Amino acid sequence: MIIVEDVHKRYQTEHGPGKWVLQGVNFTIPTKLNVGLVGANGVGKSTLLRIIGGVDHPNKGRIERHCRVSWPMGQGSGLQGSLTGRQNAKFVCRIHGHEDDIPDRLAYIQDFAEIGEAFDEPVKTYSSGMRSRLQFALSLAFDFDVYISDEVTSAGDSAFRIKAAAAFKKLADRSGLIMVSHGEGTLKQFCSAGIWINNGKAHWFDRIDDALQAYKENPPG
Amino acid sequence: MHSVRISTAITVSVWKALFLREALIRLFASRALWFWLLAEPVLHMAIMIAILTAIRVRTVGGIDTAVWLMIGMLAFFMFRRTGTQVMNAVSANQALFAYRQVTPIDTALVRGGLEGLLMAIITPILLLGAALLGYAVIPADPLTVFEAFLGLWLAGMGFGLVSSVGKELVPELGRVIELVMVPLYFISGVLFPLSTLPKPYRDWLMLNPVAHGLESARLGFAPHYHAVPELNIAYLYGFALVTVFLGLTLHRRFALRLATQ
Repeated sequence: MIIVEDVHKRYQTEHGPGKWVLQGVNFTIPTKLNVGLVGANGVGKSTLLRIIGGVDHPNKGRIERHCRVSWPMGQGSGLQGSLTGRQNAKFVCRIHGHEDDIPDRLAYIQDFAEIGEAFDEPVKTYSSGMRSRLQFALSLAFDFDVYISDEVTSAGDSAFRIKAAAAFKKLADRSGLIMVSHGEGTLKQFCSAGIWINNGKAHWFDRIDDALQAYKENPPG
Repeated sequence: MHSVRISTAITVSVWKALFLREALIRLFASRALWFWLLAEPVLHMAIMIAILTAIRVRTVGGIDTAVWLMIGMLAFFMFRRTGTQVMNAVSANQALFAYRQVTPIDTALVRGGLEGLLMAIITPILLLGAALLGYAVIPADPLTVFEAFLGLWLAGMGFGLVSSVGKELVPELGRVIELVMVPLYFISGVLFPLSTLPKPYRDWLMLNPVAHGLESARLGFAPHYHAVPELNIAYLYGFALVTVFLGLTLHRRFALRLATQ
């Protein structure tokens, strides 16, 4: 269960504090519920995901996580360019306390990412597609109660996307999922509930269709 | 539901992972980097020894110029390498804060530990090499030498911890610190003996804690060395203690600012 209580967030800009991105966000996500976040660009969807994932912190309010929550899986974060894919994967295994079964997890990651010999090349030589393949494989290699995904399903070429979607579906059935996506189909495919973010507030909908409808009926601005 | 790990277990696994990662980068990130780690101080010392002996400085304060230079430089590198590595730890590892298990202080502490370990390996190797070439580099009082190097490492750690926070809060500070490092090299008495300076100026230079560490290390190698009379190793440790705790406090106070930029 994840409890978000009165979360306020604004960023520091070069001219002092910026405007409030999130202003009093409240909701509780029960275990094993798949939730989609909808809203226009820049309303704070990714910020909220980062706060739920614990890598950013609210200026006011608090988050309670009563389960194992993944890191926010998204584009380009958490990989060091000068290290190889294998070395990066090992690092992530270690910080998650899986020192004992590193070989198994590495085998899984290498197998799923399908980047061939590039797995032993520095990540900075990867194409963006290869990076997202590696990241996606990394995120699947660990068991979390809740996965946080920032457009992660849009990774790679079409063949990989189909495979990724199938793996993601299996994962969504097994554990909870909180995701941001601009693809309506993706949201409907994976999520049952929805949160619509508008003007710094979050509105909860038990059905993702209602959240999408609310978003469409209220054009930003 | 999976069991939740206790925080010490998380920290230990993060330190281990960071240590292996930092060691990989420090030794193998570019071609033969491990070689330059060793070769850089060797070349540096060789050039300075060549220059000073060319102008006929046979002994400094009663000990061989080459030995005097070598010990001073190794001691200074202990401080400077640790300091700069720790100072840059947070900015170099920004990408890792995508995992909430990794905090800025983890990266700083692990880097400091790794650099201390590397210097603890490099220093005896270089001294052994010098001994094979016939220099008198067997310490007469190993404990004093150890005390001096440990103090310099701690001071580097404290300096690095404080400046790693300062640099993130005020980016210009990073440039200023790099500028200060060059004069620090000279005023710490690496290249000329501070004991030859007249009284009021010497007192001013001895306000620099690094100078105390250097003189103390030399004294540990040769008890007959004419060290600066104002030498006080407790001053170096006092500086280290204050800066380490100040740095830890700053890291605690600004943990969120450092991790989320």
